[in-house]
Amino acid sequence: MTSRGRAVTGVVGVAVATAGLAVALGPLSGVMLVLGLALVASTAWLGPRGARVVGTLLGTLVVFGVARAAWNPVVGAVLAVVFGVLAFRSLPTMVMRRIAFLVPSLVVLIFTTTLLMYRAPGSPFAQERVATPQVEAALRAHYGVPKSATAFFGIYMKRLVVDGTLGPSIKVQGRSVEQLLAPALPVSMTLGLLALVIATVTGLALGLRAGLEPNSPADYASMGLVLVGVSLPSFVIGAALMIVFALKLGVLPVAGWGGYKHLVMPAVTLALPYSAYIARLARGGTIEVMQQDFVRTARAKGASERDVVLRHALRGAILPVVSFLGPAAAGILTGSFVVETLFDVPGVGQWFVRGAINRDYSVVLGTAILYASLVTGFNLLVDLAYAWLDPRVRGQP
Amino acid sequence: MDRTLLGIFTALGGALLLVGLTFSRSVDAPADLRFNNGTEPKTLDPHLMTGQPEHRLASALFEGLVRRDAKSMRPAPGVAKSWDVSPDGKRYTFHLRDDARWSDGHPVTASDFVYSWKRLLDPKIASEYAYIISQVRYAEALNTYDGHAESLETAMAKALAALAAANQSGVPGKEWQKFLSKNRVNDPLRGQNDPTLNELLVRRDGVVTRAELEWMQGATKGIAGDLRRQAAEARAHFGVDGGIIAVDPHTLVVELRAPTPYFMELLTFYPTMPVPRWLVENPKRRDDWFLPEHIVANGPYVLKRWLVNDHMRLERSETYWGKEQVKSRAVDVLVSDNDTTVLNMYLTHAIDWDPEQYPRELGKELRRRDDFVLTPGMIVYFYKINTTRPPFDDRRVRKALNLAIDRKAIVERILGLGQIVAKTFVPPGIPGYVPPASAVETNPEAARALLAAAGFPGGKGFPEVGILYNTNQGHKTIAEYVADQLRKNLGIKANAYNQEWQSYLETVRSLDYDIARAGWVGDYADPNTFLDILVTNGGNNQTGWSSSLYDRLVQSAADVGPVVANPESLLAELQNGDAVRTLVNAVRNAASPTDGLAAQAKLRMQLLQEAEGVLVRDEFPIIPLYFYVTANFVSPKLRGFYTTLHFDDGTTGPNLMDDHPLRDIWVDHEASP
Repeated sequence: MTSRGRAVTGVVGVAVATAGLAVALGPLSGVMLVLGLALVASTAWLGPRGARVVGTLLGTLVVFGVARAAWNPVVGAVLAVVFGVLAFRSLPTMVMRRIAFLVPSLVVLIFTTTLLMYRAPGSPFAQERVATPQVEAALRAHYGVPKSATAFFGIYMKRLVVDGTLGPSIKVQGRSVEQLLAPALPVSMTLGLLALVIATVTGLALGLRAGLEPNSPADYASMGLVLVGVSLPSFVIGAALMIVFALKLGVLPVAGWGGYKHLVMPAVTLALPYSAYIARLARGGTIEVMQQDFVRTARAKGASERDVVLRHALRGAILPVVSFLGPAAAGILTGSFVVETLFDVPGVGQWFVRGAINRDYSVVLGTAILYASLVTGFNLLVDLAYAWLDPRVRGQP
Repeated sequence: MDRTLLGIFTALGGALLLVGLTFSRSVDAPADLRFNNGTEPKTLDPHLMTGQPEHRLASALFEGLVRRDAKSMRPAPGVAKSWDVSPDGKRYTFHLRDDARWSDGHPVTASDFVYSWKRLLDPKIASEYAYIISQVRYAEALNTYDGHAESLETAMAKALAALAAANQSGVPGKEWQKFLSKNRVNDPLRGQNDPTLNELLVRRDGVVTRAELEWMQGATKGIAGDLRRQAAEARAHFGVDGGIIAVDPHTLVVELRAPTPYFMELLTFYPTMPVPRWLVENPKRRDDWFLPEHIVANGPYVLKRWLVNDHMRLERSETYWGKEQVKSRAVDVLVSDNDTTVLNMYLTHAIDWDPEQYPRELGKELRRRDDFVLTPGMIVYFYKINTTRPPFDDRRVRKALNLAIDRKAIVERILGLGQIVAKTFVPPGIPGYVPPASAVETNPEAARALLAAAGFPGGKGFPEVGILYNTNQGHKTIAEYVADQLRKNLGIKANAYNQEWQSYLETVRSLDYDIARAGWVGDYADPNTFLDILVTNGGNNQTGWSSSLYDRLVQSAADVGPVVANPESLLAELQNGDAVRTLVNAVRNAASPTDGLAAQAKLRMQLLQEAEGVLVRDEFPIIPLYFYVTANFVSPKLRGFYTTLHFDDGTTGPNLMDDHPLRDIWVDHEASP
């Protein structure tokens, strides 16, 4: 498409979107949302130098904010300056572009999430026993949750930028959302990492084995196993493990958190579906790569079968797995509600669901921000890994 | 080795190392007692909490003037070592023990209670349970009158003006009631002694004229001013020379508006517990003073650790006056809300006590176990009827619904844990209370006749009925059964439908339903805690139902004085006032103040019984279904745990409140399993 054509399509699209959103959400929210989206989209037009400048600026701000919340403003300032200088001088443009994109999209994310939350019936202060209007008004004022979504957005952004906090939780009082997520994140990450390792190792092994000899009994056996892993929901797998290892054999604790023994069942439960998915991807990748010319060439050169598999097939098998691992890692590291509830693991996954059920607005936003940052971050990692793994991608901007 | 392989192994190895490193959490000595507390408490501030899990923690960490004795649930000495009651039953003098200490060593004094009760009533902290001490002199004025005046002066004045402007020729009664309910006027206007006003508030038929609307505008303004005056008076006196008074550091006087037989029981309830003034007033600690790193409390345990969604560790307090009686050194409080997991933890001895959590579908199976203890509870399961929506505004229709349902089948076939069929609203077992004769029964024949009389013979022409419940398998089964009963017995089309909790609350609150599932847990063993919710426009009424007789009966029970002085107008409204008349005479002719008090208590219960009679004999704004049983898995090694209470007079009874103070529970690790 020509640049003029693109511009026309863009203008028409924006106009239609604005009108639609203004009708659906009310004029103020609709216009604000379109402006926000435009801001996010505009980061795509940044040139390499522009991306560098904007990315550094926004990145510095984020580093300052996070470090200030974690330690104090002085450390925040020092870290921010160090990051800014290093980033501007040595980070690849691809990374800077991501940062320039991430920050405005988080703002839009917060706004959209706020609108959606306020559309859901109920409020964080609704209880079975009805509070008087005065009590509710006092609570709303205290927690900074006014009745209008846009007013809440204003308060939330001010809290986030000026005070550097994700706001107080209403259902777990006395703690801010960052105080809730901070101890939960390492728990989910520990479990997630372990599950990821289990999933990758078993998945790759099964997939590779199946892909090297497609349609052999080994292939059918592996893929049959995979089918079980994909189709059994984790609450069934978890419950089955619990019955066997905790109730019947008594070798593992039923649930809880605190010792290495507590890790085993949740990690395996969490890993199984991912493992199955990875196995399928790896099988497909292997089959494809084994038919490539360079594999034939390698064989012609007299490379041993072991070499062919390890040097060439593995690489081909891994590529689709790596692109899957990015978003999968973001998902698996932020925990799973089902597994965490089943095994009583104090991780982040519970907050995603509890926040929404309780209408605990700040918790909902906090988890949304966390998840969005992780997804963007891991996608970036995947891009970098691709550049490193696949010569064809290297060198592209 | 190949670069790819090396990379993969490095990444995996690094990940495993990270797992190992992050997983270096110190594990401390196992607790003596471990139990699952259900949900994560919202707060540990006794003035702001609500709910059973919170109650267990509050009475472990704090102690009020009195506490519940584990064996009898009767008030036992807490911070107060003894107390006297004045002959008129309105003045309590508490003698505080010298050795009551906060966990930081401060002595617990009478002024701590004065401060704490003032805080509880402060509208700014927005305590949901402040009303629990509304029988204390000045308390209600302090807590609510300014807010009421505010809403009368602003929202109500505006709404009335708009209503008057829009209806030049007056407002039809039905619309008027809708207006009152929407603007929630009952709270501010309740208990005014103005017959014109009280008549207007319950007018449902006819028209509210323009002149009356104007009169109402003037009257609310006057009432608002009056409320403000009373609030100012309460502020000047409460805690100084009225309501609650610290006579000296160890003597506390509490004055009541009227004799309240269950008052001592209220003092075991967490809202009346003291909080450490120096901590809660620290502006930095205002919101998080109860976290383990800051908390100072005066109960049998101190909070050592609180990992959200994981567990809490309580340890015996070294400053507690009765620490010799506390046999558990350390208690772990778990917070899983997954029924299956909790049951499995109990079965593998990971916890010693599991209150209430087990997969409901296994109930009948589990009932065979000796350690699964079922006790009747102070909880009623019922359906609310939206009486503002025709045809449910017709009491014959409401009665027909009540008669069409086979409750015995619900209790025996669906539930099967010994739940009790509810023909009344107040659960059985409250000492001194006799339930009224109820018209609630299973009688499809009579139900059909009533429906025909209301103009729907055989259910013909009856609109489709929706039965709303909050998403839950148990509620679903019952709702579908009831819908089926209505179809079969009355010939009306009924559908059960569900909404997720928050939406359900909103729908019921805004009266956007036909029939809705509800439950109510008693806060204390007195009918008042149930009957109070159905007064006209009460926040928890949510049926749109209103009866001036019912309101008067409930209000008279709170203070029998006016009825004793002038019983005739009330007696005229009662179908059969003989019992009330006899009791009024007994109060009047009492030989001594003690006899007088006892007679007043009896009269009070009679008035409450008459009120409940209005519900289940005449008006039927609700469909009571059954009374809950509470369930506990109790390890055979657990001691000091009583589901059957033993009273001083040698009698026994069920632990209706399902309260088991952690102070007195311990695990006998020596006992054979």
